[in-house]
Amino acid sequence: MLSIALIGFAGFAALCLAMEKHFSDVLGRKPKAGQLRSLRLAGWLLLTVSLVLSVHQRGWAHGLVEWIAVLMAGVTLWVFGLPYQPRLLLGAAALSLILGPLLALFAG
Amino acid sequence: MKEGFRQAMAWLHTWTGLIFGWLLFAIFLSGTLSYFKEEISHWAQPEVRSHALDPLASLGLAQRYLEANAGHSASWMIRLPSEREAALGVGWRDPDGGRRGVVRKSLDAQSGQPVQARDSRGGDFFYRFHFELQMPYPWGRWLSTFCAFIMLLGLVTGIITHKKIFKEFFTFRPGKGQRSWLDGHNAIGVLVLPFHLMISYSSLVLFMYMVMPAGILASYGGNTNGYFNDLFGRDEVPKVANVATPLVPLESLYAKVQEQVPGARMGFIQVQNPGDRSARVTFTQSAADNVAYKRSASWTFDGATGALLSQGAPESAAMMTSFSFAGLHMGNYAGPWLRWLYFAFGVAGTAVIGTGLVMWLGKRQLKHAKSERIPGELRLVEVLNIASMSGLLLGVAAFFWANRLLPVGLEGRGNWEINSFFLLWALSLVHAVLRPGRRAWGEQLGLGALAFALLPLLNALTTGQGLNHSVAAGDWAMAGVDLTALATGVFLAWAAGKMLRAPKPVAKRAPRAAKATAEAVEVS
Repeated sequence: MLSIALIGFAGFAALCLAMEKHFSDVLGRKPKAGQLRSLRLAGWLLLTVSLVLSVHQRGWAHGLVEWIAVLMAGVTLWVFGLPYQPRLLLGAAALSLILGPLLALFAG
Repeated sequence: MKEGFRQAMAWLHTWTGLIFGWLLFAIFLSGTLSYFKEEISHWAQPEVRSHALDPLASLGLAQRYLEANAGHSASWMIRLPSEREAALGVGWRDPDGGRRGVVRKSLDAQSGQPVQARDSRGGDFFYRFHFELQMPYPWGRWLSTFCAFIMLLGLVTGIITHKKIFKEFFTFRPGKGQRSWLDGHNAIGVLVLPFHLMISYSSLVLFMYMVMPAGILASYGGNTNGYFNDLFGRDEVPKVANVATPLVPLESLYAKVQEQVPGARMGFIQVQNPGDRSARVTFTQSAADNVAYKRSASWTFDGATGALLSQGAPESAAMMTSFSFAGLHMGNYAGPWLRWLYFAFGVAGTAVIGTGLVMWLGKRQLKHAKSERIPGELRLVEVLNIASMSGLLLGVAAFFWANRLLPVGLEGRGNWEINSFFLLWALSLVHAVLRPGRRAWGEQLGLGALAFALLPLLNALTTGQGLNHSVAAGDWAMAGVDLTALATGVFLAWAAGKMLRAPKPVAKRAPRAAKATAEAVEVS
């Protein structure tokens, strides 16, 4: 389930950065053409992947419930942590993006 | 037209939120604590030691104890120890003794001997308070069900009122006074919305028979027991044959259930007419095994021959839906990490209500910032805010302190724990009336910080099962309550510090462009 939480967290981070306001606030520069759109696409893709993984690993009943639970926890952490520790959270999102799929592949 | 509708919804949100917010705060907080009901009960009765789980051995111990002590009874109940509950619980029907005609005992899971534990309601107190509000039946249930309806209404009207639900999905701007409170209120409300909706809707499902009794009355008349027997698939009790026949060993029946569902955990075992030829034994699967309550997950055996007589009736689709909502609400299926998330989301729900109450007042106080005194009705809201939030926390702390400090032999000890809870809650109301707003907040939060932070120490001194012992022994239920109390203490100390320091004047809004560049510089 940790892998799903990490992938979902990275997904929401991408969706957040896909908004111009947050992109320039967090990264300190204006987004280039197409960047926002690819971020949005990546975000939705990551959320979908985490949902598929969750249902695949835990079945529909537990999979759906646990997916929603870890997603809510992750996005709440992101939103309330961002104003205080933007760099830390960006790092965490990047790390989740790598660690999440690796865990899903090797730990089941 | 459209704005008029939104304004009407905002009005509804504001005023139902205020009137029911105080009670909803208490309902949410006690409900959040109820996710750790068994753990709190374990903390409240440290005499009950936890042992490695061995369901077969426990069943044997329970059967031997009941045969020796309750052979005359018409009905036995057994609750096996679980990951969350250390005691082996036994009970038997006895018209002359016990609450509601049932004598209950907690047995040590290793020795099978009854444990002389202190009288305490433990986590069950918060659980009952959550939906009965310490009121006589059925008024508390009606009121809490109505509050659930108001919560659902608050969520829907809140979403309608909140214009920029997607634009501000990720927005939280701290350090900006009212703006930050609103951001916080909205963000916790929206980000944890699936949980909030599930909780308030499922409360209505749980008490469906109270909210919409017409269908039941039409089909069953006054016989609501008949409705519940049908709903939960309970059988009629067989007639006593008056032929003494020894009960088969329960372990052998347990093995038969395991053949049917390997690895199933048993929640509740009932024996009817024990020692008679008509004996019936029913095993019910633990609620921890499935998200939805499953009436089909029960097996009834002939207690004299050991033959499997019947399995619980299958659920219809409609039943599965409402049982799923009930299961989601109570979260019995949740393992440790999901249980902690449930707890965190419960805190989030409590925070949505709390921030709403604070904002209602803050917005109106701004208008009177220049004058010496605030109007009476605002002062009333302020007092009730303080007593219902920081005061309630003091009440909770009082319950835990009373559990450790009241003498073990005190008559009606369990009730005195509850009295301490309400006594301190009432005192906090008096205190809030007597002290100016910010001071009252600060002092109550400060006292709460001390009370919660020192709870682990009190536990260590009075029971010898402090963190040094519980962590080493791997007793995480005990350690978890201590550590959560410690964390609560730290949080309350932070909040008290904010309140006791003089309020910072809120900076005037910086022009947008300047702010954006300032933040950009800060980050890069």
